Amino acid sequence: MEALICVGAILLVLVLIIFFYFLNTARKRVSETTSIGKKQLLPVYISLADKPTSIIQGMNKLRLDVQKTEKAGDKWRWIPMLIFFGGIGLMLMDGILFLLGYFSFVFTGGGIALWIAAIVMARGLRKSDSYDLSTRYNGTRDILHTLRDDLKPGSTYLGHLDLTGSLLPTKVARTAKDAQNRETEYFRDEWFALKAKLYDGNILRVSGIQKSKKRKSYLKRSRISGKMKSKPEKFKGTAHDLKVRIVANPDVYKISKTSPTFKEGLDIGKFTVSQLSAEGGMISFVANSPFEEVEHENVLQVLKSAYSLLQRNAA
Amino acid sequence: MSRKVIPFVVAFVLICLVMVVAAVFSFSGLATAEKFGSDVAWSQPYFTAESMKVINLMGDDQDELFIQNTENVTIFDGSGNILFSQDYQFPKTTLGDVNGDNREDIVVFYLGDLGYSVDVINSGQVSTLAKSLSIGNPARVAVLRFNSGPQIVLGDSSGLLLSLSLGGQPLWGYKVGSEEIRGLDDARINGQVHLASASHDGSVVVLNQDGQRVWNTNQEQLRRMRAFDFNSDGNSEILTGGEFGAFVVYSATDGTQLYTQSMGQAVSEIREVELNGEPSSREFVVGGKDGGVWAFSFNGATANQLWSGSMSDKVNEISGIDVDGDGAEEAVLGDDSGGVAVFTGDGSRNNLDNHSTGIMRIDVGRLNGERYVVIADNSKVDVNKVNFNSIPGFQYTPLVVGVIVSAVILIIAAILASIPQKPALKVSFQDKSRESLEAERRMLKESIADVERLRKSGEVTGDAYLARLKRLRGDVAENETAFKAAGFPIKVETIQCPNCGGTLELGMDKCEYCGQVLLS
Repeated sequence: MEALICVGAILLVLVLIIFFYFLNTARKRVSETTSIGKKQLLPVYISLADKPTSIIQGMNKLRLDVQKTEKAGDKWRWIPMLIFFGGIGLMLMDGILFLLGYFSFVFTGGGIALWIAAIVMARGLRKSDSYDLSTRYNGTRDILHTLRDDLKPGSTYLGHLDLTGSLLPTKVARTAKDAQNRETEYFRDEWFALKAKLYDGNILRVSGIQKSKKRKSYLKRSRISGKMKSKPEKFKGTAHDLKVRIVANPDVYKISKTSPTFKEGLDIGKFTVSQLSAEGGMISFVANSPFEEVEHENVLQVLKSAYSLLQRNAA
Repeated sequence: MSRKVIPFVVAFVLICLVMVVAAVFSFSGLATAEKFGSDVAWSQPYFTAESMKVINLMGDDQDELFIQNTENVTIFDGSGNILFSQDYQFPKTTLGDVNGDNREDIVVFYLGDLGYSVDVINSGQVSTLAKSLSIGNPARVAVLRFNSGPQIVLGDSSGLLLSLSLGGQPLWGYKVGSEEIRGLDDARINGQVHLASASHDGSVVVLNQDGQRVWNTNQEQLRRMRAFDFNSDGNSEILTGGEFGAFVVYSATDGTQLYTQSMGQAVSEIREVELNGEPSSREFVVGGKDGGVWAFSFNGATANQLWSGSMSDKVNEISGIDVDGDGAEEAVLGDDSGGVAVFTGDGSRNNLDNHSTGIMRIDVGRLNGERYVVIADNSKVDVNKVNFNSIPGFQYTPLVVGVIVSAVILIIAAILASIPQKPALKVSFQDKSRESLEAERRMLKESIADVERLRKSGEVTGDAYLARLKRLRGDVAENETAFKAAGFPIKVETIQCPNCGGTLELGMDKCEYCGQVLLS
């Protein structure tokens, strides 16, 4: 009897696992988070070496393709659950026969076959799931769209958009240990790089760099129980750097040393200009932001302000 | 192959598999919905039955139910009325025609007022055949029809055999081991009736009509001994079941072992049951003390196990009954906890109604013209009408279920095929004009220089530096490929590591990613 109860309990647990697997497949996918509580996003890497229209069209197409795959799967999310209940229905036929005094396993076998088929389908549907695109994707597209008319005719944007994640092992710039021998990783994610030859002959270089800090998990002995306990990794913070260099066309512009609308320490949107150099015929500056996300409007605003250092030569 | 076709190909293979399995189940007869049931016709209290038989004992045209326990012998008529009942002390009984009227009489070996005695009950009339016999407590009794004439053989609890003539005169005696006689049966050798006997201590012996030993042997302590002529060749086979699980088939002619198997538990009962309805080969069922059930077929030379099953408790009784009227008998088994089950020819088990006490005896026969299964448990005897029901056409349900499963598989394949492929997540938007490719190349070289500068300044170290460099060098290699594809001249500046496939600058001696030495 104990063996029967044990086998029954194992089967019940298995059925519940299958049920919740189908239920989770059926429900609209909610945002998943990473181990440090950040939202999982679609890891996209785009090389930019084309004309603005082609790039923008390509980015729109990619977004549509992701949505199309997602929607195609969404329509059928409830089907595995329905098949699961169909399998139960078949098994109930054997139950009814059993109540009538007959013993049959035919319908149960069919029900199990339906469950296996439903699991295969649920896996297929889950594989078609996509995470959301980062807001940076649309923001970058908008920056490229805004700058499209400023580009020298016939020239292309050059650079990349790297949305594969800011906390990847390959993006660890350096590590450091504190007094308690806990290791902290410093990440440097140059998620956006753009070089463009502009209509006025200037050359614009923009880099969006996210710098993050994360303390790795470590073992610590409890002061009360004396047991070794594992402490989870901890996200310690993030900041944004916007590095810009504008090589001015000397035939068109001369660079002024100061400007009331663009100087070191000035806050522009979410950014603060931290380093500024206007030597050697080019403007180089770094703008910092303590925010994890910076909107494309802020980036464009900084670029527009930086242009105030350029003064047109007299005709 | 198109990714829209692949799900259908996989579905087709799976559907074929499902339908083949369904067809195998349908046409092999594995899928059946059958049940055996029983209705009690009448029931009478009767304790601890030791022997029971449906047989004509009263001389009318009807069969009666003979039953015997440790203190009584009773005959019920077909309706459950008592026709005869007499109490005895330690009675053991057998049925045999003692008076030559071609009808079985009851022979009772018991302890009477004048010592160990033998009574014969003919049509309810009791006559004492012998008394004050020199023998111990009754263990077994048998009537054997030797060539020289019938003899009544008595067996006691110390292993002593005593043969009596039909007039009650002692003919011969024989000592089989030193413990209780557990088997007393007639065994044929070249068509001649002999006596096979075994005692609990493991002694097995075959005697002729004069009580002389033909052969004897010893084995482990045994519980059961039965003799059957399975292949009707005039030579019987003697089956023994041991206390420790030894099941042995001996040849009655010389005692050679034809088959032996360890059952893993004490063998509590052995009975012949015609399971397959094919009379040229006979089957028998063995029951174990822990509820094990095994069916064997005997082909004349050796036994083959047909199937095995189980009961909930010690198998007390096995009986062969053709319940469904198909010419093959089903094995009806009763166990010590009151469970009764019908095992069909393929070994599938069908439970009948449970009894509240252990099953003692099961027999089948006609009472009042109707065929009944009689089951005696520890407290009563039930006369049951056993019925058989099956759902017609049920054998084809695997095909129906197979079609349902196949349809679902096909629908799933169609749905999976309709879902578009996920887009690639590494995308390159690249203009193929020479100016654009050259600009991209310059940009990549600037980026590489930028990474180098970051490394030198200590802003980027280790893996991050290498990963970024690897990606940029890969982009340079792609740029070179684009140059070549467009037919523009290009000075190649990259090579691929033959070990890890990473892109390196031409002229490097060692791969920065995997450490492979390069000979370029």
